[in-house]
Amino acid sequence: MSTVTTEGTVGLGLKRVSASKLPDPNIKRADTLAILVDISSCIGCKGCEAACTQWHDLKPPLFKEGQDFVGYQSYSDLMPSLFMMMKFKEGETEKGLTWFITKYQCMHCGDPGCLKACPSPGAIIQYENGIVDFDHSKCIGCKFCLSGCPFDIPRYDANNKPWKCNFCVDRVSAGLEPACVKACPTNCLHFGTKEDMLSRAKKIVDQLKRRGFEKAIIYDPPGVGGTGYIYVLPHGDKPQMYGLPKEASVSPWISLWKGPLKIFGAVVLWGTLLGAFLQLILFGPIKAGNKKED
Amino acid sequence: MEETRHMEDVQIERFSRFDRVVHWLVAITFLYLFFSGLGIYSPKFSWLLTLLGGLDFTRWLHPWTGLLFSVGVLLMFLRWSKDFLLTSDDVVWLKNVKYYIKSEEEKLPEVGKYNAGQKVFGWLVFIGCVVFLASGVLMWFPESFPISLVRLSIFLHDLAFILVGAGFIVHVYMGTVGVPGSLSGMITGKVSALWAMRHHPKWFKEVMRR
Repeated sequence: MSTVTTEGTVGLGLKRVSASKLPDPNIKRADTLAILVDISSCIGCKGCEAACTQWHDLKPPLFKEGQDFVGYQSYSDLMPSLFMMMKFKEGETEKGLTWFITKYQCMHCGDPGCLKACPSPGAIIQYENGIVDFDHSKCIGCKFCLSGCPFDIPRYDANNKPWKCNFCVDRVSAGLEPACVKACPTNCLHFGTKEDMLSRAKKIVDQLKRRGFEKAIIYDPPGVGGTGYIYVLPHGDKPQMYGLPKEASVSPWISLWKGPLKIFGAVVLWGTLLGAFLQLILFGPIKAGNKKED
Repeated sequence: MEETRHMEDVQIERFSRFDRVVHWLVAITFLYLFFSGLGIYSPKFSWLLTLLGGLDFTRWLHPWTGLLFSVGVLLMFLRWSKDFLLTSDDVVWLKNVKYYIKSEEEKLPEVGKYNAGQKVFGWLVFIGCVVFLASGVLMWFPESFPISLVRLSIFLHDLAFILVGAGFIVHVYMGTVGVPGSLSGMITGKVSALWAMRHHPKWFKEVMRR
């Protein structure tokens, strides 16, 4: 999927690799990157959406008659050939009728559930800069990443390979900003280090609060170790209206089957094998003709 | 001694052609499921996926093999579930299973065609298959089910793998090295009269009466 080598000395440093030991973090260093989505200055032009499909050479099928009504949206949902889309929803707030706009794509979690759930060594990688990416050559198509994801992101093609936003890792590693950020005409999208983006977001939130949006927040859910996409939500008390879970976290089931259940399994299976072997060498086979009474 | 030698030569039928075909259908599919599943379950064994046909292919074949396995287990259930009902003697047998392990079968209640261990393994497979099949379908098509149920399914599939896998290890050991003479029962369908008299005396007497 990406053009960046993920092994050896070439390419970006790695922070985490699925089903593998943690890479040594002391060799290659990089600042954690982030894209700030300031919903308060988004005009819903969908330029980012167009730039995304253009840069990644995607051709998502266009809206067909008879399809479910999607309103102002271009699509009803993400697809293997659609890495990001704008979501629009109308709702009532104390400010009257409000248009909830969200940029919907992979959030690039600090502690990615997909990577945690993935059973195939190296199929999901997280670079030192925080970008989470898939390596289809190592993917077995089990779709466990969907179970790991708290944001319902991966979409699978006909060969069961997952597709999602890769933060334009090819552009970023060449020193360019991601395509969506480049296309944004209102500066609603910002790209930089996570630190810078957070301080910028804080300023915007303070401004919003002065303007009467008292519930404005920065959306950077700690349950997934923070995210690579952070949002300024003017109506921070209603993240669900933006299509974002209030408390995003990796399901405890994933930790259960990746942790205690694995240990239990190893003890039971190896123990059984050892037990059978001990029976053999301590008591011997249970033979039919080795009794003296006959 | 004379009699023992004679009894070793007498062969009695234990498993019909149907029994053997069903058993090996389940056994061979389970073998593939066990090792391909192990490769998905544990990254340490992901090389098994390469060995069994490649990463994608093995993952692709696993659910189809699972369907075949389920058909086999259904046939097994129809054929053997009645024989596997536990009796009060079986409970005594299970409580004193240590004598069986120590090769002191004579201290246990007389066994019919199947001993309590075999029966319990049978039920482990029947129940395990239901869990494997139900959770497996959800894991196969995770986009068509609520994701929380899919997560639960992965847990249940893993748990069933551990428990049935342990039973399978014991079963293979007993059927080959652990209890000599057993394997031929599932290959030729026949066991020696001596084997039957020792391990399944009640069944042996029934056969002799006929």
